[in-house]
Amino acid sequence: MARAPTGGSKPYYQIVREVLSANVAAGNLPVGTRLLTTAVADRLGVSRPPVKRALELLEADGVITALSSQGYVVGDAAAGTSPERTNLHRLELDLPLELGDNLGQASWERIFEAVEAEILNCIPFGTFQISESLIGEHFDVSRTVVRDVLSRLDARGLIVKDRSSHWIAGPLSARMLDDAHEIRRLIEPGALASAMPMLSAGFLRDSRAAVTEALERSTALSVGEVDAMEQALHVEALEPLRNRRLAGAVRLQQVSLVINRLFATYIGLHDESDMLREHALILDHMLLGDAEGATVAMRHHLDADHARSRARLKVLSVFDAAEIAPYLVRIH
Amino acid sequence: MSQPLKLRVIGRSEVLPRPVLELAAADLPFDIEFELIDSVKGLQRVVSSPDTFDVYHQWHTVDLIWTARAIQAIDLSRIDHADLIRGQAYERQGDARAMGSVFNQLFLQPSGALGSTPTGRIVMLPLLHGVDAFAYLPSVLKEFGNGTPNSWGWLLDPRLAGRVAIMSDPVLGMIEAALAVEASEDIRFAEVGNLTVEEIDTVVDILLRKKKLGHFKTIWSNYLECARSMQRGVVLQSMFSPALAMLRSQGVPVIAAVPREGYRGWHVDLCISSAATGERLDAAYAYLNWWMNGKGGAVTTRQGYYFAQPELVRPHLSAAEWDYWYAGKPAEAVLTDPLGQPMVALGEVREGGSYFERMSRVRVWNAFMDEHTYLVRRWREFLEA
Repeated sequence: MARAPTGGSKPYYQIVREVLSANVAAGNLPVGTRLLTTAVADRLGVSRPPVKRALELLEADGVITALSSQGYVVGDAAAGTSPERTNLHRLELDLPLELGDNLGQASWERIFEAVEAEILNCIPFGTFQISESLIGEHFDVSRTVVRDVLSRLDARGLIVKDRSSHWIAGPLSARMLDDAHEIRRLIEPGALASAMPMLSAGFLRDSRAAVTEALERSTALSVGEVDAMEQALHVEALEPLRNRRLAGAVRLQQVSLVINRLFATYIGLHDESDMLREHALILDHMLLGDAEGATVAMRHHLDADHARSRARLKVLSVFDAAEIAPYLVRIH
Repeated sequence: MSQPLKLRVIGRSEVLPRPVLELAAADLPFDIEFELIDSVKGLQRVVSSPDTFDVYHQWHTVDLIWTARAIQAIDLSRIDHADLIRGQAYERQGDARAMGSVFNQLFLQPSGALGSTPTGRIVMLPLLHGVDAFAYLPSVLKEFGNGTPNSWGWLLDPRLAGRVAIMSDPVLGMIEAALAVEASEDIRFAEVGNLTVEEIDTVVDILLRKKKLGHFKTIWSNYLECARSMQRGVVLQSMFSPALAMLRSQGVPVIAAVPREGYRGWHVDLCISSAATGERLDAAYAYLNWWMNGKGGAVTTRQGYYFAQPELVRPHLSAAEWDYWYAGKPAEAVLTDPLGQPMVALGEVREGGSYFERMSRVRVWNAFMDEHTYLVRRWREFLEA
């Protein structure tokens, strides 16, 4: 949830289309190679819908030709002989990291964070209906994958089904912030203390130096700088935790990070010196190896931050969201 | 080389009647551009673009616009009669009812927070305040009987089905609806000015049911629509005092209720944009100090508003006006509205009595609730039903 929305990134079928096109141009996929949706999806480690769409577009581009029987062939079918049934796994293809990353990742995981981030970015402003079919189109995934994502968001408490069985998100109430804060102040300080022995001295020194620099600077901080500091203390510092269930439980309650980021985006940044001094206090305890002190300082920071984010949510409630994902429709 | 200065002021139409605009323009040595915005758009502008205005007539949102730092602290040493404000603050400390809402978050504290302890800096200049309730035509008394204490519950009473109106503003509308629900359902909300999610649901569910039954004839959004709805068949509705003044000067015998559950209190104050500097800031202070001369407050008195420092408007009112509006005495002359139209008949007494009697009966102050997003969602559901 701490990640920025990925709305700006390329749709998945575009990545597949470009990968295939580049490999044809480089000769890695020779003219005459037969391409079946299932086989290509398996070779690239992605689901079938984006491959199907990419192949249709490549045909329109003239890179491949549809066969009367099944699938496509690289190049012009009329010019060559009968298409070769090649085991695509034997071909050396140039695959970008974006694709490689997803090998071994369930389909829902790829889009879960994006959908979650886009919903969180909208719900402080009102109530939205989520279209299953438009999510499928937007991310080029099947209904099964979309339902998987939505049921996980449901379990996470972010969306609910209304009486007519539509998925509804929002509004983010002050009550939700209170509830998240109540849990967070119980578990995050402890999680930080558990992660402390595994954190490198370099990480702590760098984080502390960034705070000192920000406090001494006369000019205002950028949204990105504030975000990076919050990210370091509340997300990166918990990465070494061996107990991933604890790390996951903390992450679920960090709703205020989103509120603060939205406030900075819509209203602008103001004097953040309170936040900086709170960070300094926590990091100083950590640098001294004082887990007890860091826990107390973190709890203070979370309480102060809660008061700030409640006030900020009130300001955001005056607005309508400026940018909403294409699969969300404002209803109230 | 520089353009002549034009002070940009944003406010609601009720607060800035035409004579006020004309008096301020005549008295001040610079041009003033008044923008009258009655919807939430004014607040959105103020919060997101402080560079597009210099002075804002805020109401019940000072905590929010301060959080957004859309306004700057006002230096009391540059304000005329600042001693009166400080004096009031000392007198009213610990007084949560009358004017409590004005002073609770007035002074900028050394910590950067807002509080009631007097300091040299305030975030808004207290200007106007008053109490609101519903109003009705004499025919309503046939249903309830003469002498029955007025109750907010009348807004939801089935005997008036189809002849009731309510206002569309979510903040004020929800507060009035909550008061009506308390009275008609015999329940009590912990804090009417800051309802919880469940309490909002309770109120809106009742409103929705009533709306579907055809209980509300209309929903109005400003004082002009408010006055019009009463000329078109509504017999009981939410009321703004400028609409009351307008209806009475047109001869409509409308009665302002004195609800036994208490009034909804409100205040409107002056804020200076965080972006105002140099001569713009000087002009903003000049505008604030123009209000402190009491002339503008005298105009708004004639539509039923109280000025934060009543003694400043007194020299600009006739003795008969002061006695009727502030002292609660029978009108010793025919009194006029801000536009000079006869409005109060000889011998008439203001409903609710004197300034002190009326202000001490505030049950709840207008407030931007913590659950505003949730409130607006449910309120829109009601408006669209």
